[in-house]
Amino acid sequence: MPVVRKSIVTDQSSRDDYVHGVGLLKQEASQFTTADFNIPGPTALVHTYDLFVIWHGLTMMTPVPPGGNPYARNAAHRGPIFLPWHRVMLAVLEANLQRVLGKAGFALPYWDWSADGDLGSPTGAPIWTSAYMGGQGTPIADGPFAFDPADPTSFTVRIESDLNGMLAQTERGLNRDFARAWPAGWPTLPTSADVKGALAFAPSGGNPVDRYDTLAFDASSKGFRNRLEGFIPQSPTQPVHLHNQVHLWVGGDMAPATSPNDPVFFLHHCNVDRIWEGWMSRYGRLYAPDMTAPAAIYQGERIDDPIVSPLGAGGTPRGVMDISAIYAYDVLP
Amino acid sequence: MDPVIDPAELTAAAAPDGLGRYLAGLPMPAMHHPHGPAKTVRTTEYEGHRIVVTTTYEVSVDGKQVKADLRVDDNGALYCHGLPNYQFASALDTVRALIANYPDRFGGGA
Repeated sequence: MPVVRKSIVTDQSSRDDYVHGVGLLKQEASQFTTADFNIPGPTALVHTYDLFVIWHGLTMMTPVPPGGNPYARNAAHRGPIFLPWHRVMLAVLEANLQRVLGKAGFALPYWDWSADGDLGSPTGAPIWTSAYMGGQGTPIADGPFAFDPADPTSFTVRIESDLNGMLAQTERGLNRDFARAWPAGWPTLPTSADVKGALAFAPSGGNPVDRYDTLAFDASSKGFRNRLEGFIPQSPTQPVHLHNQVHLWVGGDMAPATSPNDPVFFLHHCNVDRIWEGWMSRYGRLYAPDMTAPAAIYQGERIDDPIVSPLGAGGTPRGVMDISAIYAYDVLP
Repeated sequence: MDPVIDPAELTAAAAPDGLGRYLAGLPMPAMHHPHGPAKTVRTTEYEGHRIVVTTTYEVSVDGKQVKADLRVDDNGALYCHGLPNYQFASALDTVRALIANYPDRFGGGA
């Protein structure tokens, strides 16, 4: 029975479960240590939630194709794999939340940031109140993820990245720094008009899958994926859009490669996934590149290439485009 | 198109032991930055000619070398792994953004 994902702002039950479940995963010890992931410093226990931080950070250093340049295109970003990879990550987190909550019907909520963008990107929007995610600060001082050094059960950031995305150990509170001016951050959230523009985007050319992505399948290519990921349209006046723009607007721990440190990361990406689902409901379950794209350049991006995930060989873009057996959304854009 | 991933398969793959084991088995990047300036080599063909453009960034802040791997893509946009959701037209803006987002790594300014 698929679960139904809803807006965290309107569904208080999923909000409460999400906050509670994240806290449980933060406290749950895994059988792994920082040494297992080559993270420098004294060997420390890794908790289940932090496996997701590590997963994101390691994938960002995984080049596509293997042996290629991870700075240009990695196994989760800057290419068409961006949407399938994050879909899998969210589903794996959702399954873990269902497990620790003991609620098979739990559905990951989403944050429709375009609704806040339409209202002028208020830093005091409901999601930033103490009943939801808490507000901004270095570290944040209110809400369920505020840090108390005297309380070992309070929300603690344990893995961070350095200037080059390399993982490092830390022990501190969660940071957010809203709406900073460029180049530190970005002062506004995307609007619903921005989302509609991405959904309607159609590059020239007659191939239907070009709507999704086009050569060279990277951070410069034309298509819905790159509009939604947020590297295009390249403009001197606005270099970030949609997904990227939200990371910059929230700032703090949402800026580096370890952005899953902020529980808002998953609410944000759930909304990105919802927009992708809305796009597929319009145009069909289309994906590019297919397997005719040369492996020497595109292995890891193609429709039947395994995603960097624990799903194994079946976890491919083709395998996750229709995920209706797992979940659905209450409303599609 | 039939769904390929079923709920049981997902639940099994999501178990922390399996996820951690999978991640620990990935090729691990060296968690330190190699010495030397950040270099990008861009190549292309044009009208029968082979073009190679090598771009090197050497950055210092307050007189200290910054080991930040600035790269430039084929469209001339700058990026770095420390700020994966950013792209820049200016190397100065890139370093400004790094200082703003990693203040602990730079210490206090003047």
